[in-house]
Amino acid sequence: MRKKPFHAFPYLLLLPAILMMLAVNLTPILQGLYMSLLKLNQYTLNQFLDAPFIGLDNYRRILFEGHSPIRAGLGFALRNTLLYTLVVSIAAIVIGLAVAVLLNRDFPAKGVARTLLLLPWIVPSYVVGSLWGFMWQRDVGIVNVVLVDYLHLLDEKPFWLLGANSFWAIVIPTVWRAWPVMMLLFLAALQAVPEDQYEAATLDGVSKWGQFWHITLPILKPVIVIQFMFQFIDNVYSYNIVSMMFGGGYPGEWADLLMPLLTRQSFSYWMFGQGAAVSFIMMTLMLIFVAVWMRSFKRSLANDE
Amino acid sequence: MNKRKQNLLLNALTWAVVLLSLLPIFWMVLSSLRSFGEITEGAQLSSEQALHWENYRDMWLNVDFLNYFLNSLIVCGWTTLFATMFATFAAYALARFRFRGSDTASIAITVTQVIPGMLFFLPLYMLYKNMGESWGIPMLNTYHGQIFLYVSLFTPASIWIMRGFFMSIPRELEDAAIIDGCSRFGAFVRIVLPISAPGIIATATFIFLLAWDELFFAWMLTSSAEVQTIPVGIRLFNGQFQHRYDLMMAAATVSTLPVLLAFFACQRFFIKGLAAGAVKG
Repeated sequence: MRKKPFHAFPYLLLLPAILMMLAVNLTPILQGLYMSLLKLNQYTLNQFLDAPFIGLDNYRRILFEGHSPIRAGLGFALRNTLLYTLVVSIAAIVIGLAVAVLLNRDFPAKGVARTLLLLPWIVPSYVVGSLWGFMWQRDVGIVNVVLVDYLHLLDEKPFWLLGANSFWAIVIPTVWRAWPVMMLLFLAALQAVPEDQYEAATLDGVSKWGQFWHITLPILKPVIVIQFMFQFIDNVYSYNIVSMMFGGGYPGEWADLLMPLLTRQSFSYWMFGQGAAVSFIMMTLMLIFVAVWMRSFKRSLANDE
Repeated sequence: MNKRKQNLLLNALTWAVVLLSLLPIFWMVLSSLRSFGEITEGAQLSSEQALHWENYRDMWLNVDFLNYFLNSLIVCGWTTLFATMFATFAAYALARFRFRGSDTASIAITVTQVIPGMLFFLPLYMLYKNMGESWGIPMLNTYHGQIFLYVSLFTPASIWIMRGFFMSIPRELEDAAIIDGCSRFGAFVRIVLPISAPGIIATATFIFLLAWDELFFAWMLTSSAEVQTIPVGIRLFNGQFQHRYDLMMAAATVSTLPVLLAFFACQRFFIKGLAAGAVKG
């Protein structure tokens, strides 16, 4: 192989981005790793370099002991986050795909429909949280007015922000905001599908469903694989909607998610060492998920190139 | 069922989906124009209700919304400018050159997206706190503390969007310019940047939407109203005036407007850019 001459240009171009990422990502990660090995609480916080070094004790406490404030509720938050992430990601992809197929035809004002559908995604998520928090109110909320007063589907007005209902109260707004962009991405991928494939299939007598399963889905597979991963990542770190909907307080054991729990507990109990340890456990699980996911779908992603 | 009928049915279904998905936004705007009494009396709608525009005046007066609004504009404006610039540079380097470390840089950018800075808010908070206390560089409670953080948070995803754009521009254009006596940098600035303007606008819009939506760090890194942005203001408002839904929805509507305007202004580039950049992943 011929040795390339050194060019500074690409390095100079990359430099600002890399420096910023090092400052705000790598430094806190390394510092966090060190913090997770310290007994860091409200007493030792100010001189954190002098805080007692306790090795893996924070990890042991979180994983095997039930007494720490952060550990309390971690089980619920973990279960909720996993369920929430799965439900939201799958729903956003399925609805996005269905509507993309519906939109991938010729009809009047096609562009207007596409633009309008994207609007829920443009609405900031903190607004989504306050708006739906208002809509879910038992007495004054529009959801109960429609369900009970207008449609008579329910006999009495349920509390949406309490108990098991509150899980759906956070899922539905998140899906409402997440699917439009999935729709957009699927639509873009669908428009790249060569028309003659469908024509040939129609001539061979393949049904619409058969065409969807055997032509459309395989072509969309790489997009689905990648977008599921990004949806998964996004929703694991979900914060704004839940936090606005419940005013930053404790949302109850059905709607508490990991990030709200972690911030709440860290700043009310000042358990920074344990908080850092929880962050590292989350990071490890996330990296394992992404590695396994990418490895299992390596082949279908490679086809995309 | 004949083809024509089937098409009409599908069109109706499409528009039904559109209307259904817009209902919450419609409800937000409508509620912002209803009086406090109308909202608390059980949300029944009637056609005789007057539009209460005074909610919009009261909202600005009650919570000093203008302050939060201007802070958001300042923080998001600078963030958008710097993040777009850095992402454009980095994306061009990754799209056009193979160099020692280019794979490592790509992997680092991808990993940063998988482990968002959010997870390390505690060390970051400590870092910011220490910079102020020990080194005399105040980062908590400042504009630049927020801007610095957001630029680095939103750069990685923006790099992928921009890279898609640069890859779609034929390399021959620059080669021709270089043969004509342009430097590498000159070719980038004079040939590539003007052609990729739609991509840059799309990326900038994307960054602006993300920055406008940032609540998590804004909540943690700021405690004085002088530098707090809209999401923090609305959240504080939420706690103080729990039941003034009329004012809350007015504030929600006003804070949606800038991103909506940005979206409509750049829509043409934005939808295309998002689709082109994100599909390849």
